[in-house]
Amino acid sequence: MSSKITTAGVREEVRKVLAHSNEKKRNFLETIELQVGLKNYDPQRDKRFSGTIKLPAVPRPNMTICVFGDAVDCDRAKGAGVDSMSVEDLKKLNKNKKLIKKLAKKYNAFVASEALIKQIPRLLGPGLSKAGKFPTPVSHNEDLVTKINDVKSTIRFQLKKVLCLAVSIGHVEMEEDQIVQHIMLASNFLVSLLKKHWQNVGSLVIKSSMGPAFRVY
Amino acid sequence: MGKRSRTAVQPTNIALLQNLIRKDPQSYIEEFRLQQQHYLSLKTIFFQNPRTPTGHEEFAELVGFITQMCSCFPKETVEFPNEICQLLTENYDGLNADVAEKLVHSIQMLRNKDIISNEIYLNTLFPVLVSTESKQLRTQVYVSIIQMVKSVNEGAKNQKVNRMLQALLFNLLEDAESNGLWATKITRELWRRGIWDDGRTVEIMSQAALHPDTKIASSGIRFFLGGDKEREDTLAEDSDDELDLAAIQHKMKVNKKSNRRKAQFDIAARTVKKKRGVGKDQTHLNFSAIHLLHDPQGFAEKLFSKHLQNNQKSVARLTLAQKIDCLNLVSRLVGTHKLTVLGLYSYFLKFLTPKQSDVTQFMAACAQSSHDLVPPDVLQPVIRKIADEFVSEGVAAEVAAAGINTIREIVARAPLSIEEPLLHDLIAYKGSKSKPVVTAARGLIQLFRTVDPSMLPAKERGKTATIALRAGETQQAKYGEEKVGSIEGIELLRQWKESNPDAELDEDKNWEVDSDMSDVSDEGWIEVGSDNEIEISDSDDENDESKNKKNAESNTDSMDTTETDQKPSIEATEILTPADFAKLDELKAEYGIRKAMNQSNEEIIDALNLTGVPKYKQNKEERLQHVKEGRTDREFGSHKRHHMEKPHSTTNKQKARKKNFVMMIHKREVQGKARKSLRDKQRLLRAHSERQKKKK
Repeated sequence: MSSKITTAGVREEVRKVLAHSNEKKRNFLETIELQVGLKNYDPQRDKRFSGTIKLPAVPRPNMTICVFGDAVDCDRAKGAGVDSMSVEDLKKLNKNKKLIKKLAKKYNAFVASEALIKQIPRLLGPGLSKAGKFPTPVSHNEDLVTKINDVKSTIRFQLKKVLCLAVSIGHVEMEEDQIVQHIMLASNFLVSLLKKHWQNVGSLVIKSSMGPAFRVY
Repeated sequence: MGKRSRTAVQPTNIALLQNLIRKDPQSYIEEFRLQQQHYLSLKTIFFQNPRTPTGHEEFAELVGFITQMCSCFPKETVEFPNEICQLLTENYDGLNADVAEKLVHSIQMLRNKDIISNEIYLNTLFPVLVSTESKQLRTQVYVSIIQMVKSVNEGAKNQKVNRMLQALLFNLLEDAESNGLWATKITRELWRRGIWDDGRTVEIMSQAALHPDTKIASSGIRFFLGGDKEREDTLAEDSDDELDLAAIQHKMKVNKKSNRRKAQFDIAARTVKKKRGVGKDQTHLNFSAIHLLHDPQGFAEKLFSKHLQNNQKSVARLTLAQKIDCLNLVSRLVGTHKLTVLGLYSYFLKFLTPKQSDVTQFMAACAQSSHDLVPPDVLQPVIRKIADEFVSEGVAAEVAAAGINTIREIVARAPLSIEEPLLHDLIAYKGSKSKPVVTAARGLIQLFRTVDPSMLPAKERGKTATIALRAGETQQAKYGEEKVGSIEGIELLRQWKESNPDAELDEDKNWEVDSDMSDVSDEGWIEVGSDNEIEISDSDDENDESKNKKNAESNTDSMDTTETDQKPSIEATEILTPADFAKLDELKAEYGIRKAMNQSNEEIIDALNLTGVPKYKQNKEERLQHVKEGRTDREFGSHKRHHMEKPHSTTNKQKARKKNFVMMIHKREVQGKARKSLRDKQRLLRAHSERQKKKK
């Protein structure tokens, strides 16, 4: 365990992670994950924090996304090769909790067109926000594909009932420098959210889906 | 052992016998058998008729004796624990109070000695607690159980016992007839002491909050509202005890040294150390009950439909105070977890009139329950209603202030829920004559300057907001959009770093400084960052190059990989040091960047604050109080007074006063008093009375 974190150190650990995943290739694209353990953090006194940050590249290209759209957006989604659902499709779910849960499980994220998004809580109930997958709005002026990419490359730090959290920051096919950059961005952002900055961070660990964990801080 | 002591033992002198057996069990086995026989005969009498009028004292004494002896004669007393447990469980209400108390005490003692297992202990005492009619017995058992759970959970948590007791409590709550109040009472006490702090505990309370009995329900609800505060207070109280150590240490120095004092000090030191150890546990979890809920959405929905909506007639009605508590809890749940309980908002409409009693509580709850995922069209009627009912020319100042303040709180959480014309109307109240109303209206303006200046009339936007608006920096957030964060003021830090690059070249001293929790020092640690393009593109100093040489190898590969379309910022290329963060905070303060944290919808809204503080002129005492407050830690002033306030030994003045008069009687200062001339006496007397007057 090192008591400080340096770019060179991070780079070394990333190399190790990549080497491990190269040693034994898996049948899927391994994700690299940044795991954070917090310390000296009183969840009651300090506010629970949550923050989102956009990474320069997409950490998980295989994320599945569904578009809730009006006619225009559904067409655009079809053009982009993304699953889409119209208002009628949503109404068919009939507020059935099981179906909505299934829907929330099926996709990693949702995008909804602006006209529709205000009705989402009424149409679908609490199911989506319960899963932490409330849709992101997209207007007709915005390009759907870039929006979807934005959503894919956005990561969220959120503290739940335990003092550790994990975010995916890349995958093993990515360039080493890109991964290092992502780690830097993510850890800097996270640390800036914390009240006592680095004094609140107990550990930073990176690991690929199947590989061992490497401690960077 | 000696014959003498043996003959001294009378069959009735149990205390002495007990003492002797402790020293040498085997020699006294005959005496013990005798007593045991006596106990057995009395026991059969008690089993047959618990209400026997005689022999209570003797029996209680014998039970106590045998309890003490269990550790000395484990073979002879195998049956004993079961017998007393059975006696207690079968007829706790029939037994004489003293006997029952003794039995409970014995069972507790046997558990402490590990002769009775925790399971048997709980299974014996818990039914007694919930169904006995004697208040005395109930209190005793309650205290005993709490004590037991506490001792069992010292050090590591004993999940087995916790699980078992929790299961008992769950069963108690599931059974509608039984006395479920005990479940809430025990849970609350254990939560308060920080012994139970997990999700299961919270689950018990959430079940209690949904109990059909209003008493149990409201006790559960109150737990969620106030339990965490209680726990905090207790923990704070505990930490106050630590001051004792210094006092004991001082006494050790001053008083005569003895082994006993030394032992006392050792014990105190150990306990203090233990306590500190627990408090400093770095991964100690201190989540509030609301955060630990397993299914907040379901809980909130059930609470709302069960206690607040009037569709079920059969359910006992809550009183207004209980209803407000319940509403407060539901709204806090909704706000904290961003739940969707759409029925809640239309429910509020009914209560939001100035004539409703405790309306500020309703308003506070209403504000708490709003968050940015509530559809604006649901909140708009609520805001409209508040504006219509509370904010008009005809109403009293506090009412209008309360209305505007509530709207501000709602809008702070859900900025999209107000329309522009209404906002403009409300803002116009900043010209009102009453102070609280003006403050409230200004608060609203201030809020919108940060949230969405485009909604404000042009002249109210303020300088910074107008500039930002023109530059297109601020955009109205869309519904459901999550703000993508960046480190605030990072741009400032970058500029600062570029302008003083020397500051960065200090060697890396401060990781050690950082890790032992002291304040962040001002120097940075070594900059190892693989360089960024910005520095190179407008590189105007040689420092960059020197740094480049240092990290030449890491630079070369990072430079070509950084893509052209994204501008690499400082946060992507180097790790910000503690020193950097300190500088960042400094810079932010300098440039007046307010920390626009995502408006925390976890904050509790105090109903009292909504009406605004009426300002009265202070009277003399209040003013003097202020003056005194200001004086507390000033460095100048009379040292003597400070000294006298601290604990100190006897002063010379006090000694002189106490001195025996006979020793003083010959002194000139005493005899001289009588010999003074009349004129001198008069003068002194006058001066004295003057002084006395001034003192008052």
